[in-house]
Amino acid sequence: MAESAAGRTVLEQPPNMAALFAKAALTARGRGGELPGTRLARTGVTVAPANLADYARVCRFPLADALPATYPHVLTFPLQLALMSDRAFPLALPGLVHVRNRIDVLRPIGTTEPLDLEVWAERFARHRSGATVDLCASVRSAGAEVWRSRSTYLARGATAPDGAPESDVTVAVGDLDRAVATWRVPDDSGRRYAQVSGDVNPIHLSGLTAKAFGFKRAIAHGMWVKARVLAALENRLPGALAVDVAFRKPLFLPSTVTLSTAQADGGWDVAVRHATNGSEHLVGTVRPR
Amino acid sequence: MAENAKPVTRRAAIVGGNRIPFARSGTAYARASNQDMLTATLDGLVARFGLQGESVGEVAAGAVLKHARDFNLTREAVLGSQLAPTTPAYDVQQACGTGLEAAVLVANKIALGQIESGIAGGVDTTSDAPLAVGDDLRRVLISLNSAKTVQDRLKALARIRPGMIVPEIPRNAEPRTGLAMGDHAAITAAEWEIGREEQDELAARSHQRMAAAYDRGFFDDLVTPFLGLARDNNLRPDSSVEKLAKLSPVFGTGEGATMTAGNSTPLTDGASAVLLASDEWAEAKGLPVLAHLVDAQTAAVDYVHGGEGLLMAPVYAVPVMLARNGLTLQDFDFYEIHEAFASTVLATMKAWEDAAFCKEKLGLDAPLGSIDRAKLNVNGSSLAAGHPFAATGGRIVASLAKMLHETGPGKRGLISVCAAGGQGVVAILES
Repeated sequence: MAESAAGRTVLEQPPNMAALFAKAALTARGRGGELPGTRLARTGVTVAPANLADYARVCRFPLADALPATYPHVLTFPLQLALMSDRAFPLALPGLVHVRNRIDVLRPIGTTEPLDLEVWAERFARHRSGATVDLCASVRSAGAEVWRSRSTYLARGATAPDGAPESDVTVAVGDLDRAVATWRVPDDSGRRYAQVSGDVNPIHLSGLTAKAFGFKRAIAHGMWVKARVLAALENRLPGALAVDVAFRKPLFLPSTVTLSTAQADGGWDVAVRHATNGSEHLVGTVRPR
Repeated sequence: MAENAKPVTRRAAIVGGNRIPFARSGTAYARASNQDMLTATLDGLVARFGLQGESVGEVAAGAVLKHARDFNLTREAVLGSQLAPTTPAYDVQQACGTGLEAAVLVANKIALGQIESGIAGGVDTTSDAPLAVGDDLRRVLISLNSAKTVQDRLKALARIRPGMIVPEIPRNAEPRTGLAMGDHAAITAAEWEIGREEQDELAARSHQRMAAAYDRGFFDDLVTPFLGLARDNNLRPDSSVEKLAKLSPVFGTGEGATMTAGNSTPLTDGASAVLLASDEWAEAKGLPVLAHLVDAQTAAVDYVHGGEGLLMAPVYAVPVMLARNGLTLQDFDFYEIHEAFASTVLATMKAWEDAAFCKEKLGLDAPLGSIDRAKLNVNGSSLAAGHPFAATGGRIVASLAKMLHETGPGKRGLISVCAAGGQGVVAILES
């Protein structure tokens, strides 16, 4: 991970996400150009036990001594949001759709370890219905990387710069024809996850606010669905793992969905589908690494 | 007679144990559920004995304060643990006797050859305790749920009164007497004339001995840190009779009140687990055998109308078990008498020394006699560690097994645990 000293900013405090969402909405027009080389960082971040307990409850993780694989995203996402809401970012945040997320846990992270976070954007790519960009995050503990993630966002109708690569948003999985669990996803799921993650994107909060951004109903946070999948597999997973998921159709609230799992390559293939019409909300792979 | 009364079986081995440090209510584990704590404790045991992905014969564990949704608590904890999902499990509940009773159940199945290995455990939280709606509101809600028409539903809802919206908080009280356990213990303490100073001495010694045991590393392979806690946070290494003497009584009334927060156990959160097995299973796995569970006995007393103390059942259980094994009360190298209250331990010992009580109540020709205090709770007990009800038995079994193993082969230990409902569970371990 090359550090461009010039473009690296270390924040003392986590940014205020509600303000960032507002700023992003107000400055949505007139965006364009190249991806900025900016890197945002925070150092010596410690997990608030109460927030971790709330997160664990909402995502159905047990409260344990290692962080859930998805939890560091809660720490790094505010920085990514700051990057995306900045005027220098070429794509407008309203309308960006999270289409893929890969997390690598290099080793289990203790709940009390001070963590250094860094985020940046890369891979402005062409997609058949627009352009995608990857928001990356790296988490270090005592100087060594322990966790990294890559979130791919799609901007429909946007244009990638000339010579941009093709975007890669598919995750291949094997047959997943056996549903192992049915989840009733209640109406307030978006609000509950927003409360513990700070991701107060209006599309997740209520039908009314979602409609303002073109969705017929509120939709579940993709990272919450991903977290619940991992929670369902939690004790069947090794300490170091890679979990790569594609977010397909939005999961409208409320819904009843099914989880399908199948063992594959020492790990698992997973799918979350609508319980009645079978449309896919999430497909992914979980592998030891 | 004694020889013939016991069928020939094998003795279950105690391989080892694990627990998380115990935490006073509302502190380090305030946000942890019973399932969180039991799962973490099982995983610690699995890690210690290399059981990842393996199935054991059964896991028996329980909690005294349990949410209705936790009806299958132990099985759910197993499914969330590193044990193989094919490991059977069931819940046990015998109040404060739960942990020891679970160990006896698992040991008996091993003794009969029904299983080769098993885990016994217990967990309790008073921080995340279940709240129930009152009986009146509960009935309204049930009829609301079964109502077929809007009219029926409205009718049901109309029965709700503001006074019903007060949850019932579980109390550490006996349903039939309405007295807190401490109040019951205070009655027994007064009956047996247990003094304030001897209670405070016992409490201070418990803290000092447990602190010393931690300092010399005794608990290194018995305790796994959890949620930032590495030692029981009720433990006060600098506890002394002088400090304890300053506390005001909280149970009992008037001049004779002797029981304080210092010589009674606090409400505590925690979990423990013990791995038991046949000798063959342990040997095949290359695991140690610390001790064997030789025998166990339960007893119950009529504390409601019969005039016996609520926590005196172990006093009755022990002589039955001793007779069956041809032992006297003095034939032990260690005594582990659960310190629900310091006065309970003292009343138990005083009853065994009392010729009239032993004759009239226990039907013995001679008193059981006294026990050497130097051998009593040598690494501290519940007054120091705290007492998460169902987790105490597992704490004691694992610690005593290790003490016996360290002392050498052929050593014997006695466990005595009193429980709510006027019950008691006692057991003999031997290295």
